[in-house]
Amino acid sequence: MSYEVMVGNKAAATAVKLARVQVASAFPITPQTTITQYLSEMYANGEWDFDFVNVEGELTSQVVVQAASRVGARVFTCTSGPGLLYMHHPMQVTGSSRLPVVMAVVHRGYKGMQPDHSDLMSQQWTGWSHWYVEHAQEVLDSILMAYKVAEDERVRIPIAVGYDGYVLSYTAEPVEIPDQELVDEWLPPNKAIPPILPDQVDPETFSRGWGGGDPQLPWKTHHEAVLRVEEVLKETMDSFEKTFGRRYGNGMIEPYMMEDAECAIVAMGTIAGTAKAAVEKMQAEGKKVGLLKLRSFIPFPVKDFQEWGKKLDGIAVVDRSICPGKGGPAFSKLRDSLYDLEERPKILQFHAGLGGKEVRTHDFEMVGDRILEAAAGKEVDLVTWV
Amino acid sequence: MIEIRLHGRGGQGAVTASRLIAIAAYEEGQYSQAIPMYGTERRGAPLTAFVRIDNKRVRERELVHNPDIVIVLDPLIAQQQAVVENIKPGGLVILNTMHSPEEVKLGGDFKVATVDATTIALETLGRPITNTAILGAFAKVTGLVKVESLEKALRKTFPGRLAEMNIAAIKRSYEEVKGPIQAVVKEAPPVTVDIHVGGYGVLKDVSSWRVFTPEIHLDKCIGCKNCWIFCPETAIQWNTETNKPSIRYNACKGCGICANECPVKAIEMVRVEA
Repeated sequence: MSYEVMVGNKAAATAVKLARVQVASAFPITPQTTITQYLSEMYANGEWDFDFVNVEGELTSQVVVQAASRVGARVFTCTSGPGLLYMHHPMQVTGSSRLPVVMAVVHRGYKGMQPDHSDLMSQQWTGWSHWYVEHAQEVLDSILMAYKVAEDERVRIPIAVGYDGYVLSYTAEPVEIPDQELVDEWLPPNKAIPPILPDQVDPETFSRGWGGGDPQLPWKTHHEAVLRVEEVLKETMDSFEKTFGRRYGNGMIEPYMMEDAECAIVAMGTIAGTAKAAVEKMQAEGKKVGLLKLRSFIPFPVKDFQEWGKKLDGIAVVDRSICPGKGGPAFSKLRDSLYDLEERPKILQFHAGLGGKEVRTHDFEMVGDRILEAAAGKEVDLVTWV
Repeated sequence: MIEIRLHGRGGQGAVTASRLIAIAAYEEGQYSQAIPMYGTERRGAPLTAFVRIDNKRVRERELVHNPDIVIVLDPLIAQQQAVVENIKPGGLVILNTMHSPEEVKLGGDFKVATVDATTIALETLGRPITNTAILGAFAKVTGLVKVESLEKALRKTFPGRLAEMNIAAIKRSYEEVKGPIQAVVKEAPPVTVDIHVGGYGVLKDVSSWRVFTPEIHLDKCIGCKNCWIFCPETAIQWNTETNKPSIRYNACKGCGICANECPVKAIEMVRVEA
């Protein structure tokens, strides 16, 4: 085990090295991040044996790792903001072919170059599992865990690990680098198995709707496989802690100072770190607000939120993205998840950090105050732009 | 928690300086975090970076708004009252300037230390990259990190001779820093200049970006137009009657390309006094 003060992008590249990725591919120019710079250095230094393919666009980088994954290689790619949009088409194929591709998505918004979650949120229908992480250590740990989960035979689903550009990708902070031997033991090489297209599971089933099979089956099996990420991620978090001594809640959500909390703030990514600082401050003032950091957006931690929903009086959902005309994605899904509870907590929507707008500790204190007021029966606005 | 704000220009190494402080603090058993404020920064543009040092893991990720310490890497930015905006009362400002702390015109309740980091950088590194040439002063007047820790951080960041040259800059800056003293000017003069200038040089006044200013010796000029062709900011205008160039100084960021391209050395880069 060693330590280094490093930026988020280097933490991602370090995880790729520790996972002994065999094929990495990326478009090397803007909006690409410095992850590729670190990978290129590692390649030039011969730090481990892998193929690093620089390509002419994100569409191709996704196809390159797709092909390598089909023949059983452990693969990695990365992109950011507009690059992810360009990758949209082949991402569908990666999902549908159930390939265990792991990708780092360094968040960059669409209405400017500063970070928000609109890039990865726009890819909800590609059939991947989407994780959002908070700090550089969590970037490194989550990419390792992503391989463990993606390659699990119960899952075989590509995973995107998203983290905010600039405030995490370029921010330097201390990171613990686990020993290679430990990682090797915990994360054995990927086993090559044939892609799990429903056509192959049941030859009668063709996604085009001809043959005797059910053309909906590919979607159903795909959906069920992504849902199984929950079970496998929770197991993986336990074994990760046993081996490396760190954990992030149960993998799906990470509760912070929730022991005596009556209300919770739900936030994702780097702003969850700022929310932690705000929660510490509020609890020191006797305000019973905690944080439920949402880590896995797809699959959504429905059961976990239902359990918390039974105990809590109020939940404030802070979305760093919006589907214009529809609303915040985490808010909609969370509210929907709690519909069947007999006694539902108050649930409020906050939009914060869009277009890279800075979210400050006092912003989260405002959010906390608002949800406490709502839980106490006061009339407050359902939707607030922070 | 100690919060630090660094002001500099693209190319002076403010982001690297913030990371070196973070590494050095971590070497001494403190948690740290170095956040750069990135936009469309490039060489010459004013930029800001931030550092937090604490005895527990730093959780918040907002920028630093009320710094305990301000470090200014650029002598012209160091003249702007904006650099001490929202500094904590009794805070500390470390300026790169030729002047002594007594001569500093910035006003308010803070302490001032000064060091001529540009001269140190030019003499030890040969280029006006002032980040390491101010870090020695930082170590001396704050006592937050030891020079040895900065040396370790440098060796981790840069290879071989580059590390040694920068270590020399740090040591000289440690010796030459003046102050800190309580700021002589008590009442803060109004903030007049926005130091976060965005946009491109052809549209904005970038005259404050220059460390060196080009001066044309028309008697030597042969009218070849090389300077006019190569200027990236269209700051050189061509007089078709005299067949000689002139400089639009508010568009000139002092990159020195014109002087470099001139085949008869008719353009001289003169250091700006600050």
